Parts: sequence; structure tokens; C-alpha cells
Amino acid sequence: MDLQFDSESYWNRSSRAAFSFDDEDEVDLAPDLASNGILADDTISEASFNNSVVLNLSIKSILSEEALKLVLQEQALDDRVLPKGVSPEEELKLLRRQLQSTLYSPNLEATAQKLLQGKTAPLEMFKSLQEKQQLLDTLMAQGGGHAVITVLLFLKRTLNTTQFHGILRERPKALEEYLSYLKESGDLASHIELLQLFGRHQEAALKQFEAALASGDASSRKKHLQLLVNAYATAGVGVIPLYEQVFHAALKMQQLMEKDSGLGKLLRDQPTPVEVLYACCQVNSNWKEQDMLKPVSPQRFAADQQISAAQYEWTALNERAQAQAYADLECIFERVPSWHPLKTKQFHISFDLTLAVLRLYELQAPSTVLQLFLSKMGNSVEKLALAQRVKCIKAVVDAMAGLKQQQELQQLKDTLPDRSEEQFYCENALKSLQSKRWTTDNIKLKL
Amino acid sequence: MDLTLDKKLQGFQLVAQEKLCSILCSIPGKKELILEPDLIKPLEHVVTASWLKLKGIQRIYKHDAAQPLPRSADQVHIYMIRSVLGTFQTLLKQLQPVALEEMPDIAMKMYHIVCVPSCYSYFQTLLEQAGLYGLVQLHHFNWDFIYFDQGVLSLELPNLYECLYLQRNTSPLPSMAQSLRLLQMICGQPSLILSFGNHSSQLMQMLKTLGKLPAPTNPPDYGGWLVIDRDKDYPASLLTPAIYAGLLLEVFEQRSGEILVDNSKNKISSQRVELLQGKKPKTGVNPASKPCSIRLNSTSDEIYGDNRYKRFAQVSSLIHAQVKALGLELQKLNDMQLDEMHDYVARKLPKLTELKSKVLRHLNASEIVIQMMGNFRKLQTLEEDILNNDSRKRLLSEIDELLTTDGQRYNTLRLLCLLHHCVGVAPEELQIFARNYCNLFGHQELGVFQQLSQAGLLPPLVAEKKAPTKLLSNLPLPKFQQTEFQANANRLKLLTSSGDGQDGGSSSRSQASGLQSCPSFVFNGTYIPLVAQLCSILLKTNSAEELSSKLGMIEGLQLHLDSGRTTPKAFASQLKANGVADHDVFPLRLRNLFVFIVGGASYAEIAACDFVAKLTGAQITVASDSLMAGSDLIATAFNH
Repeated sequence: MDLQFDSESYWNRSSRAAFSFDDEDEVDLAPDLASNGILADDTISEASFNNSVVLNLSIKSILSEEALKLVLQEQALDDRVLPKGVSPEEELKLLRRQLQSTLYSPNLEATAQKLLQGKTAPLEMFKSLQEKQQLLDTLMAQGGGHAVITVLLFLKRTLNTTQFHGILRERPKALEEYLSYLKESGDLASHIELLQLFGRHQEAALKQFEAALASGDASSRKKHLQLLVNAYATAGVGVIPLYEQVFHAALKMQQLMEKDSGLGKLLRDQPTPVEVLYACCQVNSNWKEQDMLKPVSPQRFAADQQISAAQYEWTALNERAQAQAYADLECIFERVPSWHPLKTKQFHISFDLTLAVLRLYELQAPSTVLQLFLSKMGNSVEKLALAQRVKCIKAVVDAMAGLKQQQELQQLKDTLPDRSEEQFYCENALKSLQSKRWTTDNIKLKL
Repeated sequence: MDLTLDKKLQGFQLVAQEKLCSILCSIPGKKELILEPDLIKPLEHVVTASWLKLKGIQRIYKHDAAQPLPRSADQVHIYMIRSVLGTFQTLLKQLQPVALEEMPDIAMKMYHIVCVPSCYSYFQTLLEQAGLYGLVQLHHFNWDFIYFDQGVLSLELPNLYECLYLQRNTSPLPSMAQSLRLLQMICGQPSLILSFGNHSSQLMQMLKTLGKLPAPTNPPDYGGWLVIDRDKDYPASLLTPAIYAGLLLEVFEQRSGEILVDNSKNKISSQRVELLQGKKPKTGVNPASKPCSIRLNSTSDEIYGDNRYKRFAQVSSLIHAQVKALGLELQKLNDMQLDEMHDYVARKLPKLTELKSKVLRHLNASEIVIQMMGNFRKLQTLEEDILNNDSRKRLLSEIDELLTTDGQRYNTLRLLCLLHHCVGVAPEELQIFARNYCNLFGHQELGVFQQLSQAGLLPPLVAEKKAPTKLLSNLPLPKFQQTEFQANANRLKLLTSSGDGQDGGSSSRSQASGLQSCPSFVFNGTYIPLVAQLCSILLKTNSAEELSSKLGMIEGLQLHLDSGRTTPKAFASQLKANGVADHDVFPLRLRNLFVFIVGGASYAEIAACDFVAKLTGAQITVASDSLMAGSDLIATAFNH
């Protein structure tokens, strides 16, 4: 590896070759990195560099020298460095004070303030349990901050587990901080252990679930999931129903993917249930009947994963329309009413029809398909607007006929190309409308 | 020299430079700076490359966690990273070989780590544990407030919301307190500070602990500070704004005060599940179109400056008109005489072409916004109904339908959070939603619901269904429960479109037609952001008595005065008891206010404050740890 660094080509392809803020600088700049450089980014960035020029402001006018000195002094992490140019007497005083605070009576307030500023402060002289607790409580009362974690780490090192956990138990806020520290540091085992210790089994289960899903290969993912599901079935602690459902669903899906390798080829690693459903739709060949036996049939899979009717229909609609298998669409939206199984199948949709029509239009479905869906709309006014939007002439005609808009129909007919199918359709609609003129409605009115 | 407030606020840059300089100058040797990529953009607001060069930095690299950077013997490496435990640990691991080197030269420290904004005190412990103590030196650098735009400051701490509200980890609070302390040094101490929320009052506590300030050089600028927690006003983040700047942030990625306009992808499109996106836009239609950026700064971009807080619909037509006008202007060139043309080309043309490229950028951006927001009116109606608790059952089913047919990873969840915050969602209802959500976006997102419930954005899931609650919810009794949000919103008159409000629905409609008479225009006349309302109360109040009557009912508000911490009510009664009305801080003598939001501000809030400021003749500066849209807020729950 080390040899590589010598060759010039390394810098040209490495992702972290030097870049410059300023393209005029003589810093060597790989050509492909110009886009990463700050100034090369855009002309806009350049503007930000002129800030200091435009500002025309001196620091003295906004901040006194004393204040600036304080700011810089507060920035330094280590106070223990002796300032230069101090008289011997003062130096002695300083040293004595430092010695005092290190060896003997710990100064609570001073330590807390130092820690708050992020400075190094010795904690070793907090020996007794009471002193330790006081230190922690003082920090918590001041609003916490990272110093709390520093002190907790110190306590963990200098107290046995029973004492340490006792302190955490009495201070829920400190516990939260410590848990967050464990989580961020990536110490998953201790995190889960602590959660369980404090009776937070739900969160522990969640963490274990996330860890299981994050494991690299499919077989270990399955193994971990299985362990988790088994553990919680027997643990006897209440499980949030949602968690239980999702744990089972994830395991089931993992098993399915393992069994059916054909499906896996269509999918990326770690697909979502809806993506798997989409793949199931792709491989499904029989849409006429609902197959609940084959695990990869879309209906069965949706039932197994508790995919809602709307999600199932929407996914299938998209997949079938993308595959241009419009004939299957009718089967997706057919339901046999359960209260009367002998009755003929009915059209049923679980979301707004408008959305279905718009999506089909977007996917360039033929107008016969659009008309089929539009024909299911009850409200003729909405239907007319939608039909016009998706340019489905026949549905426009239907809607106008429904609204008895004779004049509009006539106008529409005139705009349509002569002897086209749509024109005939329009003419028929007009005729039927005219023949109906003397039927029920008008007669009733006269009476 | 006349020192305006804005100038002073820009002066934070100078202080930051001074701070960075003192770190860099304390390190001898041939210095190389290795930056975490995320830091580059904000750092641009602080220093330039040539400045760094002047301070002895020879080269600048991007830090790559996967590949360690080789160092030759005489070079000093200075790493600059965010103070995030994970990042710090990775870097320590990367530097691990240094500890194994034989005969390390301790006298000369060859490695330095600068943590932004602060070096957590336990980092020293970790350094020691990694065996790197003495070899690697730690520093911290806080750039404090970065001046983005007139009236807009940001600390640029992107992970703060997650840390404070989701993890309940208060580590970043001290550095914020230090920044506020610096603000007090520069702009003086205000006569009162109003804080609302736990973190805010903790911050004030810390500010006090940090010690006394040196005597100020200038007279104070701000009459009052308002420090509030994000969770005290979630709707201002979660509602979709109706103003230009707000919608830009909804659609485009923001990095340190500028947005990235990319024709091929944006914040909304990347939230959708690709398979169900419908017709894919043909790729390669315009491969040459490079993503460009728009700086959200009114001095460098006058078109943004003119339009930032106007309603989007208005802005979009204004930009169209401007493009047309510019086209006409450029056409004039054809009808000119030769000498006229010379003059024109030399003087006016460069300006015009520059303006034109700016306008076109905005035109492009606003067109993408229109395309991405889809059925914006429907969304607004839905949000308005959620705010006013209008037929709750329908709201849930509409959100569910949105999830199915236009599922957006963050935005759909955001609507549910809004619903919970305003109306309350039952655990059973959340369960059904979460099941559908995991089906669409994957089982691994299960943890998100727990995270969001930590922040109170969703109800906590409960282990076993208890029969009694189930029974209760099934009984067809009318419920008169009010959520905390509704109670406070009614007390402070934040809901402007509810039927029983004073102004009624009709006034909000008139605002919709362009007449802006109320800061709620930022949400299309439905809601006034809490900070804006509090600002206008602070500016309009004439006595402590009046303040107490307006704010006395709100739990958690605290007044911080020179004399100590109190509440509006206690302050008023104390003044009354002592009979010294001249100790009253109201009406505020200095009409400028400083607003700080702990956990991210939204542009809707900034615009509403700007409106209040104009109405009352005051100046309001809004600062926060970062600027974010509602989807950014929800997205923080996904970093597990």
C-alpha cells in the first residue's frame, strides 16, 4: 500500500487528494477534484469570500480587548499551562492553589464550571460516594452537557456496578445521557444490557431487531431474527403488538426470499415488503383467480405481510400498467361480496378513483382502460373534469350524456374527426339523449 | 464609524477568525489541514483559503474515514471534525498506528484534532484509552453565529435536534451557551430574556454559570431576548410554508445558507419509493444542465432579497414577469445605432446578463417547486383541517391514502406527527399507520416511531392493550379533551382560520387574496408561528401587568431579569407589591429583539418575525442552531 502513495496517479484518482479553496493557488489540484474545491463550486461561493472585504469592520469596534482575551482564554482546553512572564511569587501562589485543588478538598463549583467549558479538570480527588454524587448532581442542576457523561465514565471506572447502577437508577436523566453515549459509541451489547436491566425491554427488543436486520448476509439475518422472535415468545414480558407483528413479518419475508431464489434476482438486497410484492406481481401469471396457496402469489404475500388492501391494489395497478397488461387490471379490482358469494363480482377500489385514473394516464394506458375506470365514477361533474384532463373522449361523452349537456355534446361532435370511432360514439350518445327527451323527466315536469 | 446592528452581527466572522487563528498559530511546523467534508461549507463563511494559507496551512484535504492520510516526517496534521462521538472514535481508530510507532517524539505534537463546536470533556478520556494521549492534541473551535442573511443567524450545528430531543443528550448545550455569551459581549445584555421550554431555561442557567462579562464597549442593541425550545412550537416546523424561501427549503437541499438546485433530483423526489413513482422522467434529456446553487442572501442575490418572504404564488408570477421584461430589454439591442450599442454593451449589458442568469435560476427553481409540490392546495386544506381538528376520522384516512398513493418518507410521517401534535393520535391508530409505513419503506424503519415518540411527536406505543381504554374509545361519547397545543394556541390566538376565532374564517380568506394583515400569511392564513406572536406581545406590551394577563396562563414561560429568574405573573405581582412601577421593563425601551430557537428554525418563522418587525418598527434577529424544513426535522429520526 505504501508504495502506492509515491506514484503520481494515486493522487489523481484518490478521493481525498488535496483540494484548494482558491483555484489560483499553487496547491496541486487534481483536475477531477476541481468540482470538490470550494471556489470552483460556483460563482456564488466566490461571493462569500468577499465578505471580509465588504465588511470593513475592525474587531476592536465590536469587542473590547479584555473581552477578546477572555474569549480566547476560554477557548484553550488546558488551563494548567502556566502563563508566561509571571513573577516568582505569583507563580508560587498559582502552583500552591493547583496543588491544593488536586490533592485535597475538591472544589465542586470550580470543577463543574471547568468541565462545562470543556476544559480538563482532574476528577480523581472525588473519592467518597457522597462527593461523587454531589459532583454529578451539581452538573445536572447546571443543565447537564457533555460533562455529565465525563463524570459518569469516571464513576463507572471508580465504582462497582451495583453502586454505579444505583446512581443511574436514581437519576433518570443521567441514565438517558449514558444510554445515548453507549448508543453513539456503538457499544450495542452494553446498550441492550442496560436497557434490559432497567426494565426497558421494548427498546431492547427494537435495538436487537435493528441489529439483526443490519447483519450482512441473509442467513445470519434470518438466524438472528429467529432467535429474537423465539426469545420474546418465551420471555414473558409484554411485547408491543406492532413490534411482534413486524418481527414476524420480517422473519417470514426472509424465509420466503431464501426459498424462492427466483424472486431474489428481481430485487436488491434488503427489499421492502412492497418491493417484494411488486416482484410477486411481476412473476404472477394467473390474475383471474386468487391463489392463496403459493407463497409468492401476490394475494397470499399481501395477506402474509399484512399489506393493506389499498397498498396491494396500488402496487398491482402500477406493476400491471408498467407491464402494459391492462386486461389484468379488472381482476385486481374485483371483489365477490362476502355476504352473498353467488352474486356477480363487483368493482371495488380502496383509494380515490381519481388517483387511479391519473396514474394510469401518466403510465400511458389506452383510453379504453381509462374509460373503464372513469365509468365507475358516480359524480358526473367530477367525471367530466377528470375525463377532459386525461383526454379520454368516450368518457367525456358519457359524462356529458349523464349531465344531459346536449349542446356541448353537439359541439364536441363537430370537433371530432369525421367517421372516427369517437364521433360515432358521440352521435349515439346524442341520439339516445334525444330519444329520451319525451320520457319520464319531462312528462313529470309538465304534470 | 457608524456601527449598525447588522454590521455587528457580521462581526462574528472576525471573532471566529481570531479564535481559529489562535489555535493554528499555537501549532508550529508544516501544517496540513484535514477537514470533515461537512465542515467545508460553513467554514467558507468564516475564512478563505488564502487566509488559511497565511496562517501556515500548506495543504487542505477532505477527511476520508476509510483511508488514512499518509504523513511525512516533518508534517503536522490538523484534523477538523464535528464533535460527534462516532466521528471522533473513527478518527482515533485511524490514528491508532501512531500509538504503536517506536520512539514517538512527544515534544513535537504531530497530530491535532480540532472539534467543532466543542471538545467534549470525555474525549480526553477516550484519547487516553486509545493510547494516544500526549501524541495527539485536542482543541475546540466554535465559530458561533454565522450571518446568513439580514436578520438570520445560524450556528450550523446540524445534529442538534436529534441530540437534544430524540436522544435526550444535552452535550451540545454548553457550546450554545458560550455562543450566546459572546453575543452578550458584542451586543450587550438585554433588559429581559423570555425563555420557553426546558432546554432554553437550562441554557440561561448555563449562561449565568459561565460567569460575569467584561464591561461592554458599545451600548446594548437588544431590548429583549426570546429563547424557545423547538418542541414548544412544532406546527411552525411541520406545516408546509406558503412563502418563497420556505418552499425553496422544502424542495432543495440546503447547505450553509445556500440551496442546491438540481434538475434530476431533489429533497421531495428522493423521498418517494422509486418503483411506484409512475412515469420516470426520461434521463439524459438534458445531461449538460449542471446543478447550480442559489445563495439565500439578500445582498448577494437581489431577486431572492425582494421575494424571500412573499407568498410563493405571487413570487412565481413576479419572476415570470421579470424574465419577460428582461427579454424585451435585451431585444432593444437590435434597434440601436452603433455608438449607442457600444455604450450599451460596455455599461448595461454585463449587469443585465448577470441579472438574467440570476432570474433564470430562480425561474428554474420555482418551476421545480411547482412540479414537486403537486396538489399544493389539497395539502394546505388538509393541514388546515388538522390544525382546526376538523373531522378527525377523515384526516387519518386521507393521510393513509397519501401514504399509499404518494408515499413520501418524511413528509407523510410529518403529517401524522402534525395530527398527533394538534389533535392526538391513539396508539392503535399509530399501529395501523406504522404497519403500512413499514411495508412501504422497509421493516428497518420500525425504530423511527419510537424515536419520534421520544420527542413527543407521536404517542408512545404500549405493550398490552388494556381493555378499559379500548372500551372508552368505542363509546360514542363526545370528547371535550383539549391537547396542550390547542389550549396554548387558543390562549395565544395562534389559530387564525378556525371558525370561532375572533377574526373568523373570512379574514383569512382575504389574506389569501394578497392582503397581508397578519403574520399567519406564512401558512396561508391558518397559523401564526409562536415566536412571531410572542415577539409582537413583547413589543406591544406596556406594563408587566399587561404581560402577565397575556402570558400568565402559559405554563413554562420564564422571565430572566437582572434580579433573577421569575415568571410573568410573579413579576407583575412583585412590582405591584413593591409599588415601584418605574422598575418595570415595559414598554421595552430598545425596540430590537433577538430570537433564538433551540432545535432549528424554519423560514416561515423568520418571515413571520420579519413581518411583525416591520409592523411595529422594530428589528428582529432570528437565530438558531440550523435552518430546516419540516422534512429535515423528521429525517433526524432516521439516523439510527
